[in-house]
Amino acid sequence: MSGTMNSVLEVSDLRKSFGGIAAVDGVSFEVREGEILGIIGPNGSGKSTLFNCVLGQLTPSSGEVRVDGMRTTGMRPCDLNRLGVSRTFQLLQVFPQLSVRDNLILAGQEHQGSMFSRLFGRADAGLGEAADQMIEFFRLSHLAAAAAGALSYGQQKLLDAAMAFMAGPRLVLLDEPAGGVNLTMLANLRERLQAYHAEYNATFVVIEHQMEFVMALCTRVLVLAEGRIIAEGAPADIRKNPIVIEAYLGH
Amino acid sequence: MTRLGTAVVTAAAIVAVAAPFFLKSFGIYLISSWAVLTIAAIGLNLTLGYAGQVSLAQGAFVGIGAYTVTLLMQAGVPFVLAFIAAGLLCFVIGWILGYPALRVQHHYLAFVTLAFTTLVFLVLRNEQWLTNGIYGITGIARPVFFGWSTGKAFNFYFFSLGVLVVLALVVWWMLHSPWGRAFVALRENPLRAASLGLDTRRYTLLAFAIGSSLGGLAGALYAPLVQFIEPASFSISMSFNLLLMVIVGGSGYFFGPFVGALIAVLLPEWLRITEGYYLIVYAALVMVMMAACPSGILGLVERLLKAVTSSGKSAPAIGAERTAP
Repeated sequence: MSGTMNSVLEVSDLRKSFGGIAAVDGVSFEVREGEILGIIGPNGSGKSTLFNCVLGQLTPSSGEVRVDGMRTTGMRPCDLNRLGVSRTFQLLQVFPQLSVRDNLILAGQEHQGSMFSRLFGRADAGLGEAADQMIEFFRLSHLAAAAAGALSYGQQKLLDAAMAFMAGPRLVLLDEPAGGVNLTMLANLRERLQAYHAEYNATFVVIEHQMEFVMALCTRVLVLAEGRIIAEGAPADIRKNPIVIEAYLGH
Repeated sequence: MTRLGTAVVTAAAIVAVAAPFFLKSFGIYLISSWAVLTIAAIGLNLTLGYAGQVSLAQGAFVGIGAYTVTLLMQAGVPFVLAFIAAGLLCFVIGWILGYPALRVQHHYLAFVTLAFTTLVFLVLRNEQWLTNGIYGITGIARPVFFGWSTGKAFNFYFFSLGVLVVLALVVWWMLHSPWGRAFVALRENPLRAASLGLDTRRYTLLAFAIGSSLGGLAGALYAPLVQFIEPASFSISMSFNLLLMVIVGGSGYFFGPFVGALIAVLLPEWLRITEGYYLIVYAALVMVMMAACPSGILGLVERLLKAVTSSGKSAPAIGAERTAP
C-alpha cells in the first residue's frame, strides 16, 4: 500500500499466527491525519492482536507497520510512544497511588529532556501547567490532588484517556474505551474525546464493542472478522452492510 | 511533608544528635550501627519499596563495600577515595545484577539475588589470597579528616550520622524528581509505564544499581565501625536482616528504613533481659507485627492518622509517605 502524504499510520499485509492459527491474516489499512477510525468485529476476530502488533506488544509474523512513513515493526512500546503513538488499555490502567496530577505528569515526563535533566531538573518536569490544563479539559480539576485510586470508575476512565493525550501524540489508539462505563459517563467520555479531536485535530484509532459509541464517535469504520478486513466505510454504511450483519449475527 | 511530620522528624533529629551524650560506648556503638545499617536499608527500600524489585542481595553489597574499602585502605588509598570506589563498584555490580530482573520478577528474582549473595559469600571465604578467608581482616583503621579522628566511638557516630544525612538527602531529592515518579510507576504497572514512554529497562537497572551502591557505601562505613570483617557477617542472614528492616519499618515509606533499622538494632538488646529467649521473643514479635500490619510500622501510623483526621482524600506526596498498595 502506498502512503499518501498525510497518512499517520500504515499497516501493510500484517499477519500474526499463534501455533498455526492466524489471528491476523493479511490486514492492510491506513489512518489519515485527523480521522477517527473505528475497528469493530466479533470476539476473536483479531482486533486485540492487531492492536498489539501495531503497538509493539507483539511481534508480527510478517507484514509491516509504519508511523509517519517510518517503519516501526518490532519497536519497543516505550520507543514507539516517544515517537508519538499513544494508547489506552482495555482494562483500566492508571497509577492508583499517585495523584491525578502526578499521573498526568508521569504520562508526559519521558518526552521531556534527558534522563539527566529528569534527575536534576524540576520535580514536575516543567509539565505542571500542561497537566493542569489537561485536568481542566477533562473536568477533573476538583480531583487534581486526589489519589487516582480514589476516583470513581468513570473518572478513572477519563484520566486514563487524558494520560494518553498528555504528550501531545500524533496518534492515539483507544482499546475499548467504553468498556464497563455507564451510559451517562459514556456520553461524557465521547463528548470529551470529540472535543479533544476538534481542538487538536488529533488522530484516533478506536477498538470497541459498543456499536453506538463507535457509530457516534468515528469518522470511518473497519470491520474485522476471522483476522481479515471484511468491510470498510462510513458508520452509516457499515450499519446497513449485509456482510457485517452476517458476521455479527451469523456466528 | 505535613506539619506533624516535620515536627516528628525534627524531634527525631534532636534525639539522634543528643543521644551519644547520654550513652556509654556500647550504646554509641549500637546507634552507630543503626546509622550505618539505615543507609543500606534506604538502598534496599529504593530497589524494593519504590521500584518493586525484590532483592536478597543487599547484605552481599554491604560485604563488597566493606571489603573494598578495607583492601584499598590497606593498599594506602585514602578513606574518601576508597569510600567512593566502594559505592561505584557496587553501582556497577548492582547494574549487572539488575539484568535478571528484566526477565524474572517476585520470588524468582528473590532466588536469583539469593544465589548472588551465596556467590559473594563463597568468594569472600575461598579467595584467601585477597580476603584472608574465614579468618577475616582485623585492625581496620578509622578515618581521620583534616586532623579530626573518628577513632573514638563518639566521633565515629557523628561521622556516620553525617554520611547518613547526606545520603538520605540525596535519595530524598531523587525520589522527588521525575525519577521517583518513574520508580513508583515501574512498581505499580510496568506495562502501562512503558506505554507512556518510560524506558522500564533503564529504570529497573538504575533502581538496582543505586540501591546496591547505597549498600556498598554502608559497607564502607561498616568496616571501620566494627574494625573487623569476615565473610560470615555478610552471609544471607544480613540480607534477610536488611529486608526485615525495610518491611518492618514500612516498605515504600521514605522514613521506613530509619524506623526498621532502629528496631532491628535495639530490640534484640532490650530483649536481653529475657536472657536465652530473646531471639525467640524477637522472632515472635516480628511475626505478630507482620500479621497485624503488613505495611510496616509507618503503614500503621498512617492508618491511625487517617482514622483520626479521616481525610483520606489527598494523595500522599511521593517519598514522604508510602506509595504502595
